[in-house]
Amino acid sequence: MKIPLQAIVIGGGLGGLWAALRIADAGFPLQLFSLFEVKRSHSVCAQGGINAVLDTKGERDSVRQHIIDTIKGGEYLANQPPIKSLCEHAPGLIRTFERMGVTFSRTSEGILDQRLFGGVKNRRTCFAGASTGQQLLYGVDQQVRRLESLGRIEKFEWWEFLSLLQDADGTCRGIVAMDLRSLEVRAFPAEVVVLATGGFGQLYAPKTTTSTNCTGAAASRCYQQGARFANAEFFQFHPTAMLGNDKTRLMSEAARGEGGRIWVPRNPGEHRPPRSIPEGERFYFLEEFFPAYGNTVARDEAARAIWRVTRQMGLGIGGSDRVYLDLTHLDRGFVSKRLGAILDIYRKFAGTDPLNAPMEIFPAAHYPMGGLWVDFERDASGGMRPGSPSNQATNIPGLYACGECDYAYHGANRLGANSLLSASFSGRVAGESAVSYLKGLVRDSAVPSERMLRAEVERQTAINQAFMESDGPENPYRLHRELGELMTSKVGVVRTNPDLEMALEELQRLRERLRSVHLGDSRTWANQTLAFTRQLRDMIELAMAVARSALERDECRGAHYKAAFKIPIPDGTFPGDPEYEDYRMRWKTNNDRWLKTSVAEWTPDGPRIRYEEVDLSVYPPTDPRDYR
Amino acid sequence: MNASLDHIHFLLRRLHSLFGLIPIGAFLTFHLWENSQSRFGADHYNLEVVSALQEMNYLPFIELFVIALPLLLHAAYGLAISGQMRAELSRYPYARNRFYWLQRISGIGILAFLLFHVGTTRIQGLWQPAVRDDLYGHMQTLLTDPLVFGLYTLGLLLSVFHLVNGLSTMAIVWGLTTSAQAQRLFGYLCIGLGLLLGAIGIHGLLGFLP
Amino acid sequence: MKEWIHLRIRRQDGPETPPYWQTFRLPYAPDQNVVSVLMCLRENPMTTDGRQVEPVAWDHNCMEEVCGSCAMSINGVPRPSCSALIDDLEQPIVLEPLPKFPVVRDLLVDRARMDAGLRRVKAWIEIDGIWDIHEGAPRISPAEWSASYLYSRCMSCGCCMAACPQFGPQSDFIGPAPLAQVRLMNAHPTGRYDKTERLHRIMASGGLSDCGNAQNCVRVCPKEIPLTTAIGELGRQTTLQSLKDLFGQG
Ligand SMILES: Cc1cc2nc3c(=O)[nH]c(=O)nc-3n(C[C@H](O)[C@H](O)[C@H](O)COP(=O)(O)OP(=O)(O)OC[C@H]3O[C@@H](n4cnc5c(N)ncnc54)[C@H](O)[C@@H]3O)c2cc1C
Ligand code: HEM
Ligand code: HEM
Ligand code: SF4
Ligand code: F3S
Ligand code: FES
Repeated sequence: MKIPLQAIVIGGGLGGLWAALRIADAGFPLQLFSLFEVKRSHSVCAQGGINAVLDTKGERDSVRQHIIDTIKGGEYLANQPPIKSLCEHAPGLIRTFERMGVTFSRTSEGILDQRLFGGVKNRRTCFAGASTGQQLLYGVDQQVRRLESLGRIEKFEWWEFLSLLQDADGTCRGIVAMDLRSLEVRAFPAEVVVLATGGFGQLYAPKTTTSTNCTGAAASRCYQQGARFANAEFFQFHPTAMLGNDKTRLMSEAARGEGGRIWVPRNPGEHRPPRSIPEGERFYFLEEFFPAYGNTVARDEAARAIWRVTRQMGLGIGGSDRVYLDLTHLDRGFVSKRLGAILDIYRKFAGTDPLNAPMEIFPAAHYPMGGLWVDFERDASGGMRPGSPSNQATNIPGLYACGECDYAYHGANRLGANSLLSASFSGRVAGESAVSYLKGLVRDSAVPSERMLRAEVERQTAINQAFMESDGPENPYRLHRELGELMTSKVGVVRTNPDLEMALEELQRLRERLRSVHLGDSRTWANQTLAFTRQLRDMIELAMAVARSALERDECRGAHYKAAFKIPIPDGTFPGDPEYEDYRMRWKTNNDRWLKTSVAEWTPDGPRIRYEEVDLSVYPPTDPRDYR
Repeated sequence: MNASLDHIHFLLRRLHSLFGLIPIGAFLTFHLWENSQSRFGADHYNLEVVSALQEMNYLPFIELFVIALPLLLHAAYGLAISGQMRAELSRYPYARNRFYWLQRISGIGILAFLLFHVGTTRIQGLWQPAVRDDLYGHMQTLLTDPLVFGLYTLGLLLSVFHLVNGLSTMAIVWGLTTSAQAQRLFGYLCIGLGLLLGAIGIHGLLGFLP
Repeated sequence: MKEWIHLRIRRQDGPETPPYWQTFRLPYAPDQNVVSVLMCLRENPMTTDGRQVEPVAWDHNCMEEVCGSCAMSINGVPRPSCSALIDDLEQPIVLEPLPKFPVVRDLLVDRARMDAGLRRVKAWIEIDGIWDIHEGAPRISPAEWSASYLYSRCMSCGCCMAACPQFGPQSDFIGPAPLAQVRLMNAHPTGRYDKTERLHRIMASGGLSDCGNAQNCVRVCPKEIPLTTAIGELGRQTTLQSLKDLFGQG
């Protein structure tokens, strides 16, 4: 009897659910794994919106412009054919979301409304109130539930992916996963696996806007089993995240856009409440550093300025990392009307009202551009060839990656509202590729050798065993806190090579210390500490890839900033001026050296970094990015 | 078969709800009016009001099918429903939650009251014709006992509350009031109705006292 | 200024084992919420009387009240713990697992019944497939949109279910959250096509009529979802539906 070819999707965010829908639609039996109910995935956190050129605002917006904005936003570091396909398919994806019942905000005519979002000139961002990610995820979640009720998708919620099953030749033949309740470790043979496990903001905890489950552990596990990890050094920091000991919460840029001012007391020992500090003793540093833009300066510049003031000048509020984001000088009615959603979040989580006292904010790790390396096949039109089994394929045959855990669409910096799009699009493409891969298989059995299954289950069980029995002085949660502090201070907004070298040594030590961890929980039922410690182990491996990639890249590009290698635009010069042309030459030379994808490969002695050409066939870099 | 008949659960619940209003609620309203005639003395009550009713055609039929049976059905099903309740009044001290609880508790209270009340009036009258001939006198004897008077007052208030609160939830069940505001406004209307019915009832009770 | 945060936590080692209580004391810090305190606690889970115990198991993810993971009973009331600020809570803070749902361990519960409810009422739009049909959904007026948007924010936290006196192991009542989703789906221009089917599903035992209008649900819902309005509207829809069933054609 022929056993139908089995597919597995790991991850129930936007990426994973799109992949699952695509595969199940093609009729292959599908198992969907998630750490928790899929509708609780991190995708729900996205508030802002999702980009797609619908051109309904009379601005002559074009897909071409969306492509260019995305390429330039990422400082040319992303392969361009996938970006081309991404932008071309965006309107179709939005239409499909709409059919699923996603409650996109409407114009008075009843069609989708669009708004302006960071970094672009046209209104091209669809949104659903202030909860776009949640609405999009629920749209696909509902469709998955529909197929589940038809028996076409089988969900494994509360199961954690631990490792890949691999043939002797490295081909992926399924996964090993752990039931987070019974702690049962079980092998799930499959012919194709799609990984959609999200980002790794938790490397920077608690100074991150991401959910506590965004550990990157799953991607790290694949990386340790031979998958390449690309552009790991590129991590977007959001300049305005609100205080929190558990995590920092995103404060939309709108607060600055509507007239919010950022400042710190000039006196580092200041003890007075902020509103009683006289104007003259306030340091409005963005306005001083960037006279032309003031508080509305671009995200990365703002983040670096805050970094400089708090970490280098030591002027953070009360010696902390925080600075004030002040709305109190604005008209209360105006602020309430324009920034209602932000005010609500701040009131809810800080317990104080931004109308009465300035908010306290700090730059936080927001979005990793890097992720598992994935392939694509270019077609004659210059985009991705539809249906090619190479699209979204990792270097491990049979393993695909999509969503925030791949590296493909954002280059050195992500354009706002492009990641919900890339997660959805890449999910659908990965699903399609998985289907092509399955159809192209000559094997007809989903059952790999019994011995291989047993060996991998035993290996994973042994790791559990070792952690359960380990008895040393280290506490996993405290180690995680240390990891977050280390990454934030040494591999954060502003980087230097000595810092990065130190970080790598420190990571090595953390790795050692994890060996003498004490779980403090010996139960074999729903042992969260065990699961967490396993994740921590893999987070440290991933952190090394991030730090190593950052160390090796000696330039400033997008979110990766090393002041020592900055090539500034000479002040007051413009194209044509000899000084500017000289700058352009230096920029070009730098590109020749560094406009390359960095690819990390895991070795027991730490990551090894290689560089790979970027496909620039759609819009080659001729001019430097210039936001003046 | 017909889809709604497949969902007998739904029809039963709606029937229960409907019975609460018609005929039971209607009967109660009428009954309280009837008893409020006590104020005009024994003769008026016995001769004009009660005997007019007692001489109605098909009376036993009406009593059985329009009053007793619906009441029994409503009560029986109501008891079954009440079994599902897990009200936690101290956790959720909201008015609607208290009313929800009281709706069920009052239902049980009414049941107890009715056993006593109907037993000592209509049922007793079956073999003691004297009771039926002078209901006014009979009620007067009963109600001069403070304990019985108290029981009646309680039974009355529970019934009135149960009716008017039932009315306000009925409006939601049947989809008359949907918005929170409509539900609140209709709630006030029901409170008003309750006060009126309560007053009529008390008035009637007092009318029996010597 | 307070110096300590006092916690009283109801613990349970597994679904079948009896619950027990433990008290903890942590140094006070500003800007804390219940999740951040539990995070501090797990680094050093020591009871007030100095016993080292296992870290408390509980569920959390987004930390901004949008994923619905972290609901539990806090001082007797079900609510998300990430948005429960310590400064607003009376001490000792009493934490219990979200009522009505089977306990997995400590404050971790199994909300599979919510998912089953959503499946039961067909809380989705029947689309042909996830491919692009080069057309979106029909237009939706801003007024309709804003009414529906309210319901689309339900994050399945289960607070409303926990507070509902009709919901629990004693009954098969589906609970308010899935009902509100029926309201949402029935209003969508194509979701409407399956309205009859959804209504029939909530007309069955355990459906809409098992709501007793206690209205706790709407009081505890952290997302302020107008559950009782949905229940009223569904009351209307089912009334008309049954009339149609009984007296209309088919
Ligand atoms: C605060 C915030 C706001 C944002 N706003 C926007 C915005 O406005 N616009 C925009 O475009 N983007 C935004 N983003 C980015 C965007 O939300 C994410 O990039 C996107 O949702 C990622 O989706 P995903 O499917 O890749 O992963 P996720 O949604 O993170 O899902 C990951 C899934 O993987 C599962 N998983 C992980 N590990 C394992 C394992 N080991 N075993 C089994 N399952 C596992 C999890 O259970 C989960 O289901 C925002 C991000 C943040 C942090
Ligand atoms: C206000 C105080 C009340 C008084 C004075 C009163 C009086 C009476 C009397 C005199 C009878 C006997 C009628 C007869 O035998 O023909 C009767 C019957 C009855 N009463 Fe009341 N009643 C009161 C309140 C209530 C209440 C609150 C209820 C609850 C719904 C109720 C329900 C009934 C019923 C069901 C019967 C039997 C009716 C029949 O079958 O004819 N009564 N009542
Ligand atoms: C005798 C015992 C009685 C019991 C046990 C009882 C029980 C109940 C219960 C539990 C409900 C709530 C149903 C729901 O909300 O789903 C209810 C509703 C109602 N009852 Fe009664 N009842 C009794 C008598 C009466 C009487 C005497 C009246 C009239 C005065 C009455 C009128 C109503 C009404 C109008 C409703 C509203 C139904 C709805 O909400 O749809 N009941 N009853
Ligand atoms: S309706 Fe409100 S309380 Fe109920 S599950 Fe949804 S969000 Fe939670
Ligand atoms: S609390 Fe329960 S009884 Fe109904 S109104 Fe809400 S569902
Ligand atoms: S952690 Fe997501 S709702 Fe609290």
